[in-house]
Amino acid sequence: MRITQRSMTLTSLQGLNRNQEAIAKLQEQLTSGKSINKPSDDPTGTNAAMQTRLELSTATQHARNISDGIGFLDSTDSALQSMLNQTRVVRDRTVAALNIGAMSDAARAATATEISGIRDSLIGLANTTVQGQPIFGGITSGSVAYDTDGRYQGYGGTGVVPATPAAGGQPAVAEVPAVPVVPVTRQVSDADAVRVDITGPEAFGDPSVGDLFALVADIAADTVSDPAALSGHLVKLDEAMDRLSNALADIGSRTNRIETAQQVNSDLQLSLTSRSAAVENVDLPKTIMMLQMQQVGYEAALGATAKVLQPTLLDFLR
Amino acid sequence: MSTFSGLNTATTALWAQQRGLDVTGQNIANVNTAGYTRQRAELQSVGGNVVPAVYAVSSQVGQGVDADKVIRIRDAFLEGRAQIESASTARMTAQDATLTQIEQAFREPGETGIAAKLTAVFTAWGDVANHPTENGARTAVLQKTATLVAELHTTSGNLEKQWVQTRDSLGALAQDVNAKAQSIADLNTAIKRATQSGLPVNELSDKRDGLVLELSAAIGVTSSPGDDGQVNVSVGGATLVAGGNALRLEAVDTQDPDTQQVTATRFVTDPGGTTVAVDGTAGGKLSALNDTIPKYRERLDEVARSIAAEFNNAHMAGVDKNGVAGEPLFDDGSGDVPVDTAPGTSRITAANLTLRFDDTDKFAAAALATEGTATSDNRNAAALAQLQNASDGAAVGYRSLIVKLGVDASVATSNLKTQTVVAAQVDASRDSVSGVNLDEEMTNMLQFQHAYSAAARMITAIDETLDVLINRTGRVGL
Repeated sequence: MRITQRSMTLTSLQGLNRNQEAIAKLQEQLTSGKSINKPSDDPTGTNAAMQTRLELSTATQHARNISDGIGFLDSTDSALQSMLNQTRVVRDRTVAALNIGAMSDAARAATATEISGIRDSLIGLANTTVQGQPIFGGITSGSVAYDTDGRYQGYGGTGVVPATPAAGGQPAVAEVPAVPVVPVTRQVSDADAVRVDITGPEAFGDPSVGDLFALVADIAADTVSDPAALSGHLVKLDEAMDRLSNALADIGSRTNRIETAQQVNSDLQLSLTSRSAAVENVDLPKTIMMLQMQQVGYEAALGATAKVLQPTLLDFLR
Repeated sequence: MSTFSGLNTATTALWAQQRGLDVTGQNIANVNTAGYTRQRAELQSVGGNVVPAVYAVSSQVGQGVDADKVIRIRDAFLEGRAQIESASTARMTAQDATLTQIEQAFREPGETGIAAKLTAVFTAWGDVANHPTENGARTAVLQKTATLVAELHTTSGNLEKQWVQTRDSLGALAQDVNAKAQSIADLNTAIKRATQSGLPVNELSDKRDGLVLELSAAIGVTSSPGDDGQVNVSVGGATLVAGGNALRLEAVDTQDPDTQQVTATRFVTDPGGTTVAVDGTAGGKLSALNDTIPKYRERLDEVARSIAAEFNNAHMAGVDKNGVAGEPLFDDGSGDVPVDTAPGTSRITAANLTLRFDDTDKFAAAALATEGTATSDNRNAAALAQLQNASDGAAVGYRSLIVKLGVDASVATSNLKTQTVVAAQVDASRDSVSGVNLDEEMTNMLQFQHAYSAAARMITAIDETLDVLINRTGRVGL
């Protein structure tokens, strides 16, 4: 092939341009820190990058949901613990008051006052709120779960239709509240939502048939007026304490579940972050090495061009 | 044979070598001129009489050399290929530029694109699910949704602007093409006249062929030789320049990107109005206008529609803070209740997607209306937040749009790279035929120099022989 000065110049220019283009690309990657700066850099990588970003932001949101849920559950747990302890005191006083002959009327009146005081404290605890939301009120938007008289103000769980055992060809029917409980849940992972609340009727009994607060009020009243009825109340109080313990166990197991989810979530975030970095971020040593190589190539091309374009036959004619 | 015919032969040699040196000088002068074709003085020996006359005596020796003709050295086949390749290169460059610009409009992957804004909306709904009654969380949903809508408007607006700019540039392109076609026709006329009167036309031809090549890049013309050194230029089968006559082209039809689907933008002859199939930059721009940009606008509109349908359906399933059933979140800006969210019937586009209200109480976070009372139920908000994992949701649709764009753009770029290499090879082979090589010119120069010296020496030799003949002969005894 016949080679001309002009074609040689053009070819050299093209080669130098290509070299510079490659250097510019590497420089763009190094300065932005990203190996994918536009979708065409790596279409499949872009897909993975966008998906990972989405998953990462979902996981971050789940982490927020989890810590919020843990706060809710912890408050519920400590409120229930205190209430159980106080109910135990009520039980002690009731047992003492059962000894009809051993107590003076004045002592009975004092016991009744104490029990009434404990009842007020129980109602106070049942109105515990987290960020303005009464934790035993279900999905109510009111500020309290129970009013000062111990009447339930929340939503869900009341008017229980009692369970019927299987009889006469009819199947067994489980206990159903007339107003169904709407669980307050927190999404802790893509697939899993954990219930974080427990309604008053579930923890303290159905108000329509007499809950913990009504029972304690009865005990306070009967300590003075009808000590003989106390033994019946004691049975009910034991049931209420069982219910409280069950609620505590329930809350505890849910706390466990959500804490496990928290562990899983932080592992997931870590792996997503590193996956995102692997897809999008530049491999620094590799890119720097490639830049070096490209630079060496560019300098060699410049040197060769300078040597080749310089001489013509003109230099050697006298 | 005449006594002085040797002198005459030597004189033609002097002229011819002189001419050779002149042409060498012209070549060297134009070594860096783009589009210059190297020239060569065609040396031809002059023979004796072809038909001997009755009393004529032919000595059977030629009469010297003739260097009348100076030709351009070029390969018509390579020139034709260069026209085709430069048209392809120009078309692919335009297509690549279009897709690069679309990529810039979407700004993915990153923190500023639609994907990030959409994720932020889902996240905001997640916060509402944690605190359904809190106004702060609801305001965040309002703001994030408004930002998403604005981002869709911006991206759609960018695509529309790109369309309008490309459409405008076609007018300028047509003017440029018409001016060049006219110049080619004028040069054709000049070349015809010069050829007929036997004048050199090499430089005029170079200039014209350069213009033809520029037209190839602009609209993909090809040329064929005509009479008297003229060329005829045609584009997509239609003759653009025939001898000294040039046809005009104009870009016609819609200036409005929204009516693009109905009438395609095209080039037609003026007068005549016949549609011309163009290649080159014009071809690339037409495919951007009629195909690429509308396709991506349509896909973005689909994303907007699926966002509207997805959120409207989910939102209408819930009840708001005041216990009222949730309203649709988005419409097409008309304020009508968007009942037509079914595919194919919706009038919603990325440009007109509108959030229907700005009252944070109206966000339906609850799934259940408690009679007459407010509720802190969070199930509908949680369901909305969960939408981002929907396997056929807007996020997935948008991601597939971006991946398609990435694939299209990277294919266009790699096609262009390949085409650039091919075009460079054709250019190089063209240049290897018609380019000026200084070494070669130097060698030629030496050759002509030596031939000139030799011819001069020849004259001296004849002079000496004549000197002997005239001045020294017949002087014996003088």
